[in-house]
Amino acid sequence: MAERPEDLNLPNAVITRIIKEALPDGVNVSKEARRAISQAASVFVLYATSCANNFAMKAKRKTLNAGDVMAAMEEMEFERFLQPLREALEAYKKGQKGKKEASEQKRKDKEKKNGVDDNDKSREEEEDEEERMDEEQDAENEEEDEVEN
Amino acid sequence: MATSVAVPVQSTESDLDRAGSEEEPRNNDTEEENTQQPGPTTGPQNRLAKLPLSRIKALMKADPDVSLASQESVFIIAKATELFVEMIAKDALVYAQQGKRKTLQRKDLDNAIEAIDEFAFLEGTLDN
Repeated sequence: MAERPEDLNLPNAVITRIIKEALPDGVNVSKEARRAISQAASVFVLYATSCANNFAMKAKRKTLNAGDVMAAMEEMEFERFLQPLREALEAYKKGQKGKKEASEQKRKDKEKKNGVDDNDKSREEEEDEEERMDEEQDAENEEEDEVEN
Repeated sequence: MATSVAVPVQSTESDLDRAGSEEEPRNNDTEEENTQQPGPTTGPQNRLAKLPLSRIKALMKADPDVSLASQESVFIIAKATELFVEMIAKDALVYAQQGKRKTLQRKDLDNAIEAIDEFAFLEGTLDN
């Protein structure tokens, strides 16, 4: 099955919701228009990723980071996105920090209950967690990935 | 669960999926007990990105040149995509209104793509 990357669609319900919220009341959107917007969104992700990745490679980094994406937005002439993206990123980082602390607390509580030594802290120390895209790595981690997903 | 040689992907994967996933089934996970419950830590997180981060990540993975991407970068791309959808919908609406229509149609999209520089990358990419 040869799937083009563009065939990976974003959920219709979410795309529809985003469109409806952007447009005034009383405006309808045809199914074809919705489908086209959804496709365009997928293409946008691919293009933005490619662009961002160029910045990462230029900086000799293997990990694509938020800064690369911001640089990509500018390159793609979407400067208008920069401010809202920065704000969203701040909120996201705060949320991640809270989640990590809550998760760590739960883990500690559980370990106390089980009487396990809390000496594996490496997980908690990761500031900026990475998503491995590498196929090889995915194969190795397949078991974990499937459980997580 | 066996710990792997790789960098802590486990909690990362959970965080990522919990944050954005709408459709992936939740499996029994002994390490993250709170994945099922929409607590205060997951609620607001879900509202920050409407698009599922797992799906965005899958799209990013399609690029063979991309090896690693931070969780933040996946989130930012998700958010940017949301802004993009808003933008293109509004720009296409202008053409519908010019045609005195209240329904956005495919041709309005095509017109917007042709007319607006930022959408040039879309030319030739959409199915007909």
